[in-house]
Amino acid sequence: MLSIVKRILVQIKNDKRSLGLLLFAPLLVLTLLYFILGNANYVPQIATYDMSEKFNTELQQNAGVIELNEKPEAKDYLEKNGIDALIWKDSEGTHLELLEKNSKATTALKAIQDTNKVLQPSQSELLIDYVYETADDNQLDSLSYVFLGVISFFFVFILSGMSFVRERFGQTLERMLMTPISRMDIIGGYTFGYGLLSALQSVVIILFAVYGLHLHVEGSVSLCILVMILMAFSAVSVGALVSIFANNELQMVQFIPVVLIPQIFFSGLIPIDTIPFGLGNLCYFTPIYYGCTALEMIMIQGKGFLEIWPWLVGSVLFIGVLFLVNVMALKKYRRL
Amino acid sequence: MKIEVNQVDKSFKKQRVLNQINLTINSGRIFCLLGASGSGKTTLLRIMMGAIRSENGTVTIGGTKVPNRQLLAEMGYMPQNEALYEELSVWENLKFFAGLHKLKRKTFEKNAAELLQVVDMLQDKTKLVRDCSGGMKKRISLAVALIHHPKLLLLDEPTVGVDPVLRRRIWEYLKQLKSSGVTILVTTHVMDEVTQCDDAALLRNGHIIAKDTVENLIGMTPNGNIEELFFMNDQSEMEGATC
Repeated sequence: MLSIVKRILVQIKNDKRSLGLLLFAPLLVLTLLYFILGNANYVPQIATYDMSEKFNTELQQNAGVIELNEKPEAKDYLEKNGIDALIWKDSEGTHLELLEKNSKATTALKAIQDTNKVLQPSQSELLIDYVYETADDNQLDSLSYVFLGVISFFFVFILSGMSFVRERFGQTLERMLMTPISRMDIIGGYTFGYGLLSALQSVVIILFAVYGLHLHVEGSVSLCILVMILMAFSAVSVGALVSIFANNELQMVQFIPVVLIPQIFFSGLIPIDTIPFGLGNLCYFTPIYYGCTALEMIMIQGKGFLEIWPWLVGSVLFIGVLFLVNVMALKKYRRL
Repeated sequence: MKIEVNQVDKSFKKQRVLNQINLTINSGRIFCLLGASGSGKTTLLRIMMGAIRSENGTVTIGGTKVPNRQLLAEMGYMPQNEALYEELSVWENLKFFAGLHKLKRKTFEKNAAELLQVVDMLQDKTKLVRDCSGGMKKRISLAVALIHHPKLLLLDEPTVGVDPVLRRRIWEYLKQLKSSGVTILVTTHVMDEVTQCDDAALLRNGHIIAKDTVENLIGMTPNGNIEELFFMNDQSEMEGATC
């Protein structure tokens, strides 16, 4: 088993591209997400017609304001001028027209709501607070556990799955099986070899997310690393298992959406109890569920080991079951 | 190590690729399985190793029924394509497979240096396999099969793509191994290679059409060309069909 672990490590050391893919590609994707979902400080552009001077002045605190002298046709005006919202007043009341439902429109709407709040303060204002997050947390903070889990799982799954397919088609697996090594040693060596690399990846991802991108982590960073390492080990095992059903590298690529997309649904992106027909129960068969739930509890809810251990046990059991299934599956290539 | 193949049949997706194969390969001999591509040579080789299961029949090696994991420690296998790790150097590939056979470091270093000398790769031992030519990979693959000094050597088309000078050197080395008691089974589709062997079996469409010592097989042909045996078999089949 140790020979396989050593071989994988030397192999990846000599293959700088795969090493780069494993270590730096997830950081690149995370950085991209940081800019897309993080605090973009976008200032919405809002056109006003026939609104009070007071309103326009206050709105300027929250948005770029264009005061119009005549009311234009909303659709044409918003589209051609790149304006996010048009607000005007007539005998029926105040109208607000937004181009489409997107994050820019949401920012424009918030700017108008904030302006109204200042101009018409109400004593019975609804004060919103979150148990586990603050109103300042952005989308990336709220979904960080999903992205960290899914991105890490994705890259490890591809690397291990493809490597196993290559072992089979390059006949190195057959050659290995024609030595006295046991099937358990092969799967063990594979899992630990790629698992170690993935563990390194997990540490790099978490440290980058926390100290580089300043992602909010309520609980312990080292617990996050532990969960990520377990997820990485399960990704290696899933990759090895799926590769058995792939007859070539192209088929392995085709398996990626089949294996990954359903798991993303159970990662916490959608609340599981809102999934109809009891389909949410499928989450128990996906390793990402255990990892992402534990990550959510640590990163968002600030829970510790005593609260998350059942999910850690779930992950370990998953790895154990996949390990045995992979050992059995190797029987296809050698009976003993 | 004596190999005995008894009544072996094998089909893939309802297509019969091996039919009632019976073979005896005596210890310390070089045995050649000769046949065109698709004749069933590799399948038979893989059944002998225990990599795939035959539908009927048995294979025993040195009296032990295949498959047997301990038996694999005594066997060296060289697949048809190189089956090497491209991102590892020549030396690292040898070291990895030596590790699977649990070879001690000193034994490995001695064996590896000796084998790389034979296959003329000693000066390239630090080269990554991905930077080696096809012929070089073939030579490394042979060295990998021999790294643990096996008692039984199974070589699937070992000299394809190897230049004539080196081919001769490899055959000399194989004969040297034979004289030290190693049993060698070689598959080939190159007729000339047969003359290097002691015994041979001619495989066609999953049937053994002739088997004997190479000397006797040559004696059966009108012009000393073993290839003729395939044509002679063709003719007798046609005569059989017309009768």
